[in-house]
Amino acid sequence: MTLTILQPGVQATLQGTPRIGARHLGVPASGPADPLSMALANRLVGNASDATAIEITFGGAAIRFDTPVSFAVTGAQSALTFAGQVVALHAAHTAQAGDELHIAPARQGCRIYVAIAANIDANVFLGSTSTYLPAALGGHEGRALKAGDTINLASVRVIPSMETPEDLHPVCSNSYALRAVEGPDFPASARRMWDETFTATRRASRMGVELEGAFPHIPEDASHPSAAIFPGALQLPSGGRGFLLLADAQTTGGYPHLLQVIRADRHLLGQVRPGDRIRFLHRTQQQATDALRAKQALLSAWLPDFHL
Amino acid sequence: MNDPAITFCGDDALRLSAPDRDERLARARQLRTTGDWLEVVPGRRDVTVQFDPLRHTPTEALAHLSHTLATPAPPPSRTLETVELPVHFGGKNGPDLADISNRTGLSEAEVVSRLLSEPLQIDMLGFTPGFAYMSGLDDTIEIPRLLQPRQQVPAGSIGLITGQCGLYALAGPGGWPIIGRTPVSLFDPVSDNPFRLQPGMQVRLVDAAAS
Repeated sequence: MTLTILQPGVQATLQGTPRIGARHLGVPASGPADPLSMALANRLVGNASDATAIEITFGGAAIRFDTPVSFAVTGAQSALTFAGQVVALHAAHTAQAGDELHIAPARQGCRIYVAIAANIDANVFLGSTSTYLPAALGGHEGRALKAGDTINLASVRVIPSMETPEDLHPVCSNSYALRAVEGPDFPASARRMWDETFTATRRASRMGVELEGAFPHIPEDASHPSAAIFPGALQLPSGGRGFLLLADAQTTGGYPHLLQVIRADRHLLGQVRPGDRIRFLHRTQQQATDALRAKQALLSAWLPDFHL
Repeated sequence: MNDPAITFCGDDALRLSAPDRDERLARARQLRTTGDWLEVVPGRRDVTVQFDPLRHTPTEALAHLSHTLATPAPPPSRTLETVELPVHFGGKNGPDLADISNRTGLSEAEVVSRLLSEPLQIDMLGFTPGFAYMSGLDDTIEIPRLLQPRQQVPAGSIGLITGQCGLYALAGPGGWPIIGRTPVSLFDPVSDNPFRLQPGMQVRLVDAAAS
């Protein structure tokens, strides 16, 4: 039982659970850039929140189902055509063998998730199927999906249709207000950052998103001894443009670490696309924890096994 | 914050300053056994631990860290493995060796022989899977990073910057001047033991041309 990638779009990869506990070996987390959207897709087809799914950047993709199977699509706003009919995001649909799903280029947001009511066959490294392209780990032969790729499916299921509750549909936007705490290298001169609006540039990947705007001036020689860095960090390399780190970010770095987007809001980073505007909202550590617990409480009735 | 050696590193991580290498690695091993942390990552001067704020508030995480630090770090393991790596220095394997020689006033042979004179200590792995940060030449010998990082550095390349030597386990982009390359595989994801190198190990470089 299989599905076939007809068009992968700009980049499509298989992603599953992040790799946790191996950053001291240089192994990044990987996993979905927007874990909440992937969890919502998996929920609709009865999978675990972190079951392996297809992550598609910017849409412009097409898939053919070679066997009867249910699926669901979430994430960036894009028009879906399934078996010739317009269908909605955030709903489970059932394909017959030969049906095609076409995902138009995303109008807003960056990443789309296709969950399948099946176990998607993928390579496993350190207990995770998530693709990490620089080291060819996990996923489909460790690489991005190509037109013509056949993905093997096991335990294929057909399930009744279901929809994500309206109030849990994530809001896609061209403008994000991300809650953040001060990073270890936040300089006193950076207070104005909380009032600035930054713009995402075209340098964007699963490793991170470059931001331009009025960053504080940091002396040229301000690089630091290499230290741990995590997704959600805003670094400021010497070029004067910030870099917001995502799921595939390097595990250590020496650039000044100005801000850290709080855990509650990191899932939003996976939807930032070039040209989007970003503001940072100042929070304390305790406020960040309170915000995380509040958001988790909102999600846990629908996504009992999902953890932000 | 009671202990001046501990600072927050974002909303879900704490950083312990630990300039001494043996103590740093011993603390990292100790912290990894407690089960309190998602990640325990040694840097060049510190250890950073990441926690899950759904399990522990920042105050609780801080208390856990202080509690562990109140007990002495376990003694550093004295059975440090020394890994020997043959290296092809200079030429197309080490395209920046000549430039480092010009910049430092040391001959190419002198740069190489200083690196071979004693085992290099692995401080940490980081950046990308298996990249090893090691001790390098004397801190007083200044070697800056490349102005323009390379798009593609072959796996096994050995880079040199001020005070540090780095081993690229993977092919990929890289900003360190490259002086040589080892043919030994440093990262093999399908092996039972994917990482040839670990923090705390010693690496003895051997001039492949001399053997």
